[in-house]
Amino acid sequence: MAETGRLTRAGEGRPLVSMVTLLRAAIILAGLALWEFLSHSGLLYRDVVPSLLAIARALGGLLASPNYYFNLGVTAAEIGAAIAIGGLSGLAVGILLGANPFLSKAFESYIYYLGPTPKIIFFPVMIMWFGVGPESKVALGTLSCFFPVALSVAAGMRGIDRVLIRVGESFRANTWQTVMKIYLPAMRHPIINGVRLGLGVALIGTLLAETKLSNKGIGFLIINAYSTFDMPRMYANLIVLFVLAIGANALVGRLGGLDSIKRV
Amino acid sequence: MAAGATKTDDAILVVDDIVVRYDTAEGPITAVNNISFKVRPGEFLSVIGPSGCGKSTLFNVIGGLLSQHEGVVSVAGETISGPHQSIGMVFQEESTFPWRTVIDNVAFPLELIGMARTQRAERARHFIKMVGLDGFENRYPGELSGGMRQRVSLARTLASEPKILLMDEPFAALDEQTRLLLGDKVLQIQQQLKQTTLLITHNITEAVQMSDRILVMTYRPGKTKRIVDIELPRPRTSEIVSSDAFGHYVAAIWSDLREEASRGMKDEESHVLHEGGAS
Amino acid sequence: MTATANRRNSGNLAAKAVGLAFLIVCLLIAETLIRADAISRYIVPPPSEIMGSFYRIVTEEHVARRFLLTAAECLAAGAMITVFGIAGGVLMHRFKLLQQACETWVAAMASAPVVLCYPLFMVIFGRNAWTIIMIGFIAALPPVILKTIEGLAGTRKVLVNVGRSFNLTPMQQFWKILFPAALPTIFVGLRLGLIFALINVVGVEFLINYGGLGQLIEDLAERYDLAGTYAAICFVILVSVLFFMTLEKIERWLRPVD
Repeated sequence: MAETGRLTRAGEGRPLVSMVTLLRAAIILAGLALWEFLSHSGLLYRDVVPSLLAIARALGGLLASPNYYFNLGVTAAEIGAAIAIGGLSGLAVGILLGANPFLSKAFESYIYYLGPTPKIIFFPVMIMWFGVGPESKVALGTLSCFFPVALSVAAGMRGIDRVLIRVGESFRANTWQTVMKIYLPAMRHPIINGVRLGLGVALIGTLLAETKLSNKGIGFLIINAYSTFDMPRMYANLIVLFVLAIGANALVGRLGGLDSIKRV
Repeated sequence: MAAGATKTDDAILVVDDIVVRYDTAEGPITAVNNISFKVRPGEFLSVIGPSGCGKSTLFNVIGGLLSQHEGVVSVAGETISGPHQSIGMVFQEESTFPWRTVIDNVAFPLELIGMARTQRAERARHFIKMVGLDGFENRYPGELSGGMRQRVSLARTLASEPKILLMDEPFAALDEQTRLLLGDKVLQIQQQLKQTTLLITHNITEAVQMSDRILVMTYRPGKTKRIVDIELPRPRTSEIVSSDAFGHYVAAIWSDLREEASRGMKDEESHVLHEGGAS
Repeated sequence: MTATANRRNSGNLAAKAVGLAFLIVCLLIAETLIRADAISRYIVPPPSEIMGSFYRIVTEEHVARRFLLTAAECLAAGAMITVFGIAGGVLMHRFKLLQQACETWVAAMASAPVVLCYPLFMVIFGRNAWTIIMIGFIAALPPVILKTIEGLAGTRKVLVNVGRSFNLTPMQQFWKILFPAALPTIFVGLRLGLIFALINVVGVEFLINYGGLGQLIEDLAERYDLAGTYAAICFVILVSVLFFMTLEKIERWLRPVD
């Protein structure tokens, strides 16, 4: 049935797009209105729902203060290091497991089952091993990041069309060439997807560690706002964090050419 | 070969002047262009044509799944404007419900009309036996082969006791041997029930073996190229299938089809050349 | 069993044995290095001591009660994501406009660090179980919604056509065809959601020092009970892994169709 896939009905098209935008705008406006109402209604404990104006002011103050960018830099550096170490080790282990069925059968189920576990509980151990500075946060981020990358890469390795490998063999490519010129390009999608997932969990792990024990970084700023009960500042921090996290996720996904961010 | 004598008076299915047009990215297309024919009660009519001739579109129109068309389809005098209880459809793809057992699949139409449970089970067993799957009532489709699953779909449609059985290349996904065996089975059932059957197919041998008449369609826009009366005795044993008369019919229909099929092929090739992609 | 199957099975067994042996060897090496003071036992207790603490932890620290508390929190979050997640997915599938407007938002939430809002939730709900449950709920909701939509939308067209050919009403079409066809995918979503819920529940318990198993670790760490902390971490990881395995088994059992 070749033709049926491209059926369109006459008259539809343009208007439908802006309906979506209208609905989105309506939902956002309704949400903001509800928020403002709750804020002034006194129904909830005083500053739990600050007015939109207060949040906006805190947001402005935050984005204008150099102190914020210092902390942002600290966190970004920690996350970057976590992804670098965790990502590269995950890549290496994933390639190893993906290429060698025996090793995969021996070890991969450990990684598979240890992956979806709460890594933050390792933080006390990380502190003992690496001290109270940024190293322990990087360690936790690395631990979190390793698993999704290793599993994605291993699965990606196995998913490569065998015939491509044989082509490399027929041209007598050595191991390094095979890895660089065939395996890695063929695995671009699983690798990027693994990195995207790894980024997400590294971010969470690092930040949670910062909220637990740190005097620097975004996590510290959030818990600090909590302990001083500066709610507008906490909301502002959370808003910026969410925007950055979702943006980074979308960016990495786009980089990898993923068709949508709906992959869970 | 008679050129499609249509005995009109006692027709149970009347397809009158069907035209189907729709818009695609490349502009408006006419899929089916003025097809008309009549089917008598108990008759086995095959519609044969090359890929892309619109026969599946025709299947959807007659079945009531496609209502945007010109022309009229009527069953026993009543005009069809949507899926109708007197038309039973068997689809080309896997269509059994994987979450229901065989007997629950077959009993599905009986469930819909509110038949009592014990009665349903009994009726369903009757049709399961008819397609030769007795013993498999409590299995899941996932445990069965492709051919067995198509038999379940067939039994399910038969259980609704339609006046007209409409089938769209039901054996296309099966291997040759299974197809032949299933074809025999369908024919046997059709003769036993005196079921009016309309079969859409691209397989000439199958069509000649099973049908009373064959409607040959042209390539898109699909029109009636020829209606052929198959005057071979029933039952259509393997003797008859290997007879000269049979061979003549097949050859004649192929010469009609070949023309249309090569037109279709050229059209596909020019598509790739000009639009830069296969349709 | 055929000869090839037998060979394959013994190959699998050999690999698994090697994997296990490797782990044991690592533990033995760690034990030796620590006892030899190459690694300070005040940073990493010897594995034998950790294993010894297991018994102590289980008996002295009311592990059963803690486990039940964590389980109850997960169950609460799980019940909420089942109800709201599936309902949300069904609604978004039913109202295409809603889906087009909101699906990307839900997907964005799936990648957002929801758990970082725990200080906010502490302000709203207090330092108690509700904070934990709500974080678990919100963090685990997106995959359930997304998988429900995916399952319903992914119903094979021919099955929809079968329903149409029998002239089913929209309600019948939904309950007799779309929903059963979507169930396997919905269960995948629930499995993902429940895992997220557990991870977040235990994590928040640890962070706010309240609750069951997560709080146990925090407690032992604050008491500088080194071996106990390590043992508790291993225990919680074990519970988590068993939970994951159980969910997988349940999901496989519920899928007679594949």
